[in-house]
Amino acid sequence: MTPKDLDSNMPGPSAQESSQTAVVKLTESISRRGFVGGASAAALTLAFTSPTLAKLPVAAQAASSANFEPNAWISIAPGGQVKLIIHRSEMGQGVRVALPMMLADELGVDIEDVEIEQAVADTKYGNQNTDGSTSIRLNWEPLRKAGAAAREMLTQAAANRMGVPANECTVTSGVVEHGGSGKTVSYADVVADAAALDVPAEPTTLDRASYRYIGKPMPNWDVPDIVAGKADFGIDTRMDGMVFASIERSPTVAGKVKSFDATAAKAVRGVRSVHQLEPNTAFFRMFGGVAVVADSTWAAMKGRKALTIDWDNGGASENSAAHRTQLDGLVEGEGKAFRSEGDFAAAKASAAKVMTAKYHAPYLVHAPMEPLVATAIVTADKAEIWAPTQDPKTAKDRLVQLLGLKPEQVTVNVTLLGGGFGRKSKPDFIFETALIAKELPGTPVKLTWTREDEIRHGYYRSQNAQKIEAALDADNNVTGWRHHTAFTSLVSTFAPAMNEPSGTEVDMGMTNMPYRFPAVQLEKSAIKSDLRIGWLRSVCNTFHAHSINCFVDELAEAAKMDPVAYRLKMLGEPRVVEFGSRDKPHGQDIGRLRHVIEKCAEISKWGKADLPDGVGHGFASHFSFLTYVAMAMKASVEDGKARVHHVDCVMDCGTFVNPDTVRAQIEGAVVFGLSYALYGSITAKDGAVVESNFHNYPVLRIDEMPTVNVHLVENTKPPAGVGEPGVPPVAPALANALYAVTGKRLRDLPLEGQLA
Amino acid sequence: MAITFQVNGVERTLDIDDDTPLLWALRDELELTGTKFGCGMNRCGSCTVHVDGTARRSCVLPISRVADKSVTTIEGLSTDGDHPLQIAWQEISVPQCGYCQAGQIMKAAELLSSTPEPTDDDIDTAMRPNICRCGTYQRVRKAIHVAAAEMSKAPGQADGTAAGEV
Ligand code: FES
Ligand code: FES
Repeated sequence: MTPKDLDSNMPGPSAQESSQTAVVKLTESISRRGFVGGASAAALTLAFTSPTLAKLPVAAQAASSANFEPNAWISIAPGGQVKLIIHRSEMGQGVRVALPMMLADELGVDIEDVEIEQAVADTKYGNQNTDGSTSIRLNWEPLRKAGAAAREMLTQAAANRMGVPANECTVTSGVVEHGGSGKTVSYADVVADAAALDVPAEPTTLDRASYRYIGKPMPNWDVPDIVAGKADFGIDTRMDGMVFASIERSPTVAGKVKSFDATAAKAVRGVRSVHQLEPNTAFFRMFGGVAVVADSTWAAMKGRKALTIDWDNGGASENSAAHRTQLDGLVEGEGKAFRSEGDFAAAKASAAKVMTAKYHAPYLVHAPMEPLVATAIVTADKAEIWAPTQDPKTAKDRLVQLLGLKPEQVTVNVTLLGGGFGRKSKPDFIFETALIAKELPGTPVKLTWTREDEIRHGYYRSQNAQKIEAALDADNNVTGWRHHTAFTSLVSTFAPAMNEPSGTEVDMGMTNMPYRFPAVQLEKSAIKSDLRIGWLRSVCNTFHAHSINCFVDELAEAAKMDPVAYRLKMLGEPRVVEFGSRDKPHGQDIGRLRHVIEKCAEISKWGKADLPDGVGHGFASHFSFLTYVAMAMKASVEDGKARVHHVDCVMDCGTFVNPDTVRAQIEGAVVFGLSYALYGSITAKDGAVVESNFHNYPVLRIDEMPTVNVHLVENTKPPAGVGEPGVPPVAPALANALYAVTGKRLRDLPLEGQLA
Repeated sequence: MAITFQVNGVERTLDIDDDTPLLWALRDELELTGTKFGCGMNRCGSCTVHVDGTARRSCVLPISRVADKSVTTIEGLSTDGDHPLQIAWQEISVPQCGYCQAGQIMKAAELLSSTPEPTDDDIDTAMRPNICRCGTYQRVRKAIHVAAAEMSKAPGQADGTAAGEV
């Protein structure tokens, strides 16, 4: 129980309840589109570069606009129609609902009455990278202040109109009411007046108790379109005169086209042209290849298959078995130390016993259900892109360089994303589309990647090896902890010379290992990779949470203690610690971590559950993206395969905006985590990726889906990440559950094939 | 070669290569983009449509094979997006990104037409071909049960066929 934690007696609704309460009917007035073509060109003037500062610079009013636009997110037309701008990308995490909930609450309008519009890439929105589980936590202050500023201005204008003091007025559903007289003025009536006022520098946000939307489940308003097949994803972009492209890329990143013969490709009905693309290391290490442009997607794909290409593989040579041997060797040696407390060597020298475990995890790829796709129109002085991108701003900035245009000549529109998981913040597919479109000036070009393209030309989660050693005294108390990790840094994609895992990568789940051991020694080593490395949902937390949670389970057993009790003992008393960059800015609150562990033990009936024969209960906990998660998993082995029956999860992500999407993210995290725990493995042969589609890169299917019970901790702490923190505890909870039934410590991922 | 078939109750004739998968004919030629491309090799179910009432993976179904047949896509499952499955999907907030969901719903519609009161096992068996990378499986199961219960109350719609299907 943590002293500062307000929640313990205020559990969130059960999973059962959430589905029921989520049925909030939205009226037809909600604009569900507001995507492509809806770019509001009207001058919006407010911008901030550091959302965390939560400062609203004073905005100069847009003289040319009749709308009231006090900042980049709010536009109210003279007739009163409210439009809210969404500057982050929607990929199923509910940002198109959550951001308007925050704005509508502070603005004091009914969310049913607002229109939403997806932002194009623009500096005025600050960071638009929908990545790192940041959309709520980085926008919580600035967006509420943006809403509050508009509310204060509209209230002032209404008060002026009524001839009353603004501080005697209240706002309900866009109507300002003067308490004393009962007089009312609607926002719609004072739009122009409000626009003439100064934007308050320090608007006051509302008391939480007055929020109507924040904290309550709200359905995603794209759902009616989604279930009717009308929602437009990137792949659905359609334009008159559009042509369709498919690219045969080099099997290796460094590879180049030596020569190619397109005679057969050009003979395919519907094929229009063929274009060679050069690899470009400066632009996210984009691949070289040959693009086929045709009248339809199918003709482009067929034409592409008919190409004959002679490749220079660029000297790539990586083979996975050898790569693994090299990684294993690295962690046996000494790495570069990055956290040291006490004297591990001395602890080991005087240990009664030393326990050692080595872990291995392969490359992983994202496999969002919508493959990579983009549409572009490029002319000599203009480029416009429509893409399911997580990071339109970076795409735009780099396109400016790639195409040699000015920022105002490049527009990047964001469509709905059919999943992202980190892959769609890499703009290589957008660059490719733009380069092809540049050769066909004025013609809309849609480039569609196949699944094989996506699996083989990814930015992979690194292959990784780790070794953990613990020195124990005669009573099995740990006197020293040494942990060595080895992998290729994702920085290598941008700086090939990068020769060590970066600080921020090891800080994800390793530096901030929370257990108190008298001596701690953490080391890292690097390995070169022929593949492109990138961030994938939860990034390095995936492998670090795995090894630590599994090894702590072993230590508990050695100490003859229950794994949950052991965790709590080794965490020690509630306090706030800070180990590395990923614990900033709030620190890691051991009290909150203890709380999710205790709560999860309680709701999962840990140690008291009536487990059927052959079913094991496994536990894991992890702090990432400033969120605390504990997970208990029931699993068994059936026909040589792991079978997961039930998952209990407790998450403390601080203040949350839409509990229904938070729950959905945890349900999805369990699926994502089990997919890689059981099956995920990308391998390389001669520097090229071997796997190609869902038959050899399987993911979890519905018949393998456990029931998932989610408990959300309610408190008023600052909002923290949601999309990623549910993932890291999944694999170790499973491995620990399987140990409980098999007695085998499986330390390699994936688990598939090791249980027979 | 010209191929004539019914799509959502309307007769269409396309002059395209015989081997063109139905998926791309629907998406590129007929601009029915509700049916999605996920794998192109019969592994994910994103492209599921009904052909004469049976769920088929359109990415591997050459257009020549649907000549004179009746195809129903997500756009034609109901007149107004109000098939009991589409309503249940909204009530349960099933979709995350939504990309796989047309395929999920079309597959589930086939299940309910043959098995009006499916068990979890029935659902798992029938829905196994359909991948959801976002992980909405728990809600898919629940929504199918909700729709099944709703359809058992309204026998007229219980066959799960499309409004436009003949
Ligand atoms: S796209 Fe047809 S089964 Fe995957
Ligand atoms: S909802 Fe995203 S793939 Fe199913």
